[in-house]
Amino acid sequence: MFVLVSYDIPNDKRRTKIHNALKSYGEWVQFSVFECDLDDTNYARLRARLSALIKPEEDSIRFYFLCRTCSPKIERIGGKPPTDDSIFFAG
Amino acid sequence: MGTVYVNQEDAFLGRSDERLKITHERRTLLEVPLLRIDGIVVLGRAHFSPALMGELLERRIPMSFLSPTGRYLGRVEPELSKNIFVRSAQWRASEQPERTLHLARAFVRGKLKNCRNDLMRAQREHPELNVQKAIESIQQNIDALPRTENVDSVRGLEGAGSASYFAVFEQLIRVKGFSFTHRNRRPPLDPVNALLSFGYSLLRHDIQSALNIVGFDPYLGFLHTQRYGRPSLALDLMEEFRPLVVDAMILGCLNKSVLQPTDFESEPLSGAVSLNAEARKQFLRQYEQKKQSRFRHLVLEKQCTYQEAFEIQARLLSKYLLGETHQYPPLILK
Repeated sequence: MFVLVSYDIPNDKRRTKIHNALKSYGEWVQFSVFECDLDDTNYARLRARLSALIKPEEDSIRFYFLCRTCSPKIERIGGKPPTDDSIFFAG
Repeated sequence: MGTVYVNQEDAFLGRSDERLKITHERRTLLEVPLLRIDGIVVLGRAHFSPALMGELLERRIPMSFLSPTGRYLGRVEPELSKNIFVRSAQWRASEQPERTLHLARAFVRGKLKNCRNDLMRAQREHPELNVQKAIESIQQNIDALPRTENVDSVRGLEGAGSASYFAVFEQLIRVKGFSFTHRNRRPPLDPVNALLSFGYSLLRHDIQSALNIVGFDPYLGFLHTQRYGRPSLALDLMEEFRPLVVDAMILGCLNKSVLQPTDFESEPLSGAVSLNAEARKQFLRQYEQKKQSRFRHLVLEKQCTYQEAFEIQARLLSKYLLGETHQYPPLILK
């Protein structure tokens, strides 16, 4: 499933932690916005990690689910082009 | 899911959160979530952190090690899959001459038919080529396969068919600056042989991973005999894919001038020829694109990529060994 995750965290230290966890699950596309293409297990893992990190009275994280037919319809103006994930080079 | 290729000599592979982080002299080369990776290929030397090593094995991500010139050195494999039934069927079949013979014939038939089809296509598209003789002699070897009585004679036909194929391989290269007379390796002595060896090493990484996923013991083959430390089954299953994936991709690289004669360097002492660093990246990208390209699988009657086909063929092989089908159908494409 394709999930758009946005977050609003006033505390810098906690925000960095949340950001760091999200980087392992998806692509950082804008300040406080990640795009993640996940299966159910990995979504559950991510959600569990994030909910252990936040303070619910101050922070908020939102997950927007895009259906299979909707995710290719994302339009982008400017910013980084979407990455190809079939090959990675180091060096 | 993708494969990570580590090109930087002495790179450091470590773990950061749930990501693979590759650095070299304190500079980050790559940071990628582990859940996006299904294989790592290290070209040359690399350092691994113990934490990452454990994590990779835990997540069942195999690592293959190639020399800087692309020779296959070995791999670190997660625990074998628990499918004991497949493995015991594999061992039983290896004791049964008629099943061993059936599989050896099938692998060779797949390879030779694919070689023949490549030549026939080239002949159709370029009538001036002189490959008709080679096509006929490969065809004779294919026709002789059902009459073979033991695996040794199957190997003989494979050798003869390959020789006819490589004897005209040079004609398929339609650009100036590359020559090919015969297949040589360890070390490869000209650019085309260097590409073939490199390409087969990469293919072996992928086939061996597919065999492991399905639960085979990759070291027990049917066409290739047992030898200490040689993954014979991977070499067996590779046969049908060699012309389809590697040879076709290399001819594409050369004929479309993706690679030039100036992209190669040779070692003065051994005469070993290899790609330079920048061209190597280009070659890896072409290989990856080839693996992701789609075709129609005749047995399953659906579209799939070559990457998926590695596993599909391994599953068809397990079906034959477990007695669910009466024959193993090698992947043959027109």
